[in-house]
Amino acid sequence: MALVESTDQARRDFETHPVALAAVADGLSVERYRKLLLELYQIVWHFNPICAAAASRVQDTHRELRYFLYEHMAEESGHEQWVGNDLDAIGVGEAALLQHRPSPSTLALIGYNYWGAERRNPCSVLGMMYVLEVIASVYGGAFASAVRESLLLVGDRGVSFIGSHATLDTEHMVQLRKILVTIEDAGARDAIIESTLVNFEFVTRIFAAI
Amino acid sequence: MNVPDPQSGLPGLLARPYRFLRLEWTSDLSLLRVRTCVTPIQCFSLAGIAEMQRVLDDISLNPGLVRHLVVSSDVTGVFNFGGDLSLFSLLVRAQDAESLRLYGRKCIDMVWWLETAAQRGVHTTVLVQGDTLGGGLESVMPFHKVIFERSAQAGFPEVLFNLFPGMGAWHYTIRKAGFAVANDMVLSGKLYTAEQLYRRSLVDLVVDDGRGEAALDHVVRSIDPRLRGTLVALQGQRLAAPITYQSLAETVDLWAQAALSLTTRDLRLMERLARAQVRKVGGAEEGALHEIKRIELDTAWGEERTGITEWTTLS
Repeated sequence: MALVESTDQARRDFETHPVALAAVADGLSVERYRKLLLELYQIVWHFNPICAAAASRVQDTHRELRYFLYEHMAEESGHEQWVGNDLDAIGVGEAALLQHRPSPSTLALIGYNYWGAERRNPCSVLGMMYVLEVIASVYGGAFASAVRESLLLVGDRGVSFIGSHATLDTEHMVQLRKILVTIEDAGARDAIIESTLVNFEFVTRIFAAI
Repeated sequence: MNVPDPQSGLPGLLARPYRFLRLEWTSDLSLLRVRTCVTPIQCFSLAGIAEMQRVLDDISLNPGLVRHLVVSSDVTGVFNFGGDLSLFSLLVRAQDAESLRLYGRKCIDMVWWLETAAQRGVHTTVLVQGDTLGGGLESVMPFHKVIFERSAQAGFPEVLFNLFPGMGAWHYTIRKAGFAVANDMVLSGKLYTAEQLYRRSLVDLVVDDGRGEAALDHVVRSIDPRLRGTLVALQGQRLAAPITYQSLAETVDLWAQAALSLTTRDLRLMERLARAQVRKVGGAEEGALHEIKRIELDTAWGEERTGITEWTTLS
């Protein structure tokens, strides 16, 4: 409960940001959805290297966490291509994707997560995972439906990443919780809370800027 | 010489920085008015609960300071949507029974404070000027006086997504209106108008829209001259029809356990309601109440097609 309670207002601040509210209720215009996926691609692309950086520094006392990260990386491997496919479905080709310069908030989010894993406390990676999985599992399904309706997309075309992670991350939430309860040292717990707050803050800013 | 603590007493109570509450003080009545504003979705968020509990704790720490506690909503058209549905969804998906239980305990701590308010020398009144659902309605029922404006509607929709209201709904509906009404309200998931709630003795006074503030003033000023007698009588009332913290807590435990077994379909329905709350926030005419009616229709239509109703299933 400590993590949930300490970070719940940050989750609410994301959920109730006018752009996020409108996106979950009514979807997005194609221009804004393109912008969002372009930023999301960067986050997904850097997810595994950040997890790897964290795994390399996890103490032997947290063996289970290291295995959890290995398994998670294997599952997420190649998922940036799902975002790429969704972008392609809404008219953004590979060349435009590769030329895209991430927004300052995306750079700050990714930069913080590398720094947290490499310099601060490797357990901070769990804060990043918690935020991404909460957003995907709690809001992802409704958001994917709203985007599908607003852009008249058929099936999973254009929403494959968000739609599928809404389901996948429900299982991940259970696994993540099981790992979180094994983290008992105060420094690691503080790092996870800090990371969660920072990640919610920057994801909210990314939404706000699209 | 005793130097008064600048943060104690009334100055301390009123000076705290609140994000989701607005406090006002009426000195001739020793009346603390709390206006809730958990924007943009008025529900029992963890932070909102913490602020309300802080106010209640401050009142307890200063016995004799507050004679009347009055609560209303600052959000037009909404008193309270109840539990934080996104948080429930998150905790259910994570199968986090402990956090669900702790959330429920925080809710019943507020309920319990209201239940024991008369012992603390505080009379409580609530003014409901808009929709109040689930936990929102549960939060209203322990008040000594419940005033509804006529257009306000309320109900316990939890059964629609295979849950039940676990923070005092059964206890207070049974106490105020009896078993039959409690069964009807909790098990049907139906919505009720202010007038219907008044006829079921769950609301003490229904006034026309816009007349709530005047009614509030009238109620408090008519009680104040006989406050001591009223509070003792209300303590006696609670002895005659007791509700215990233990029973509330056991119900929360049952609720948390039940929440863990919600299916994806149940969570989707819950999320439909959450989305409807968002639409209302966005200024749409239709909100959570319309969505509940739609879900009721969907359910009824399903029963008509299959011939299966809860009663035929039971028999």
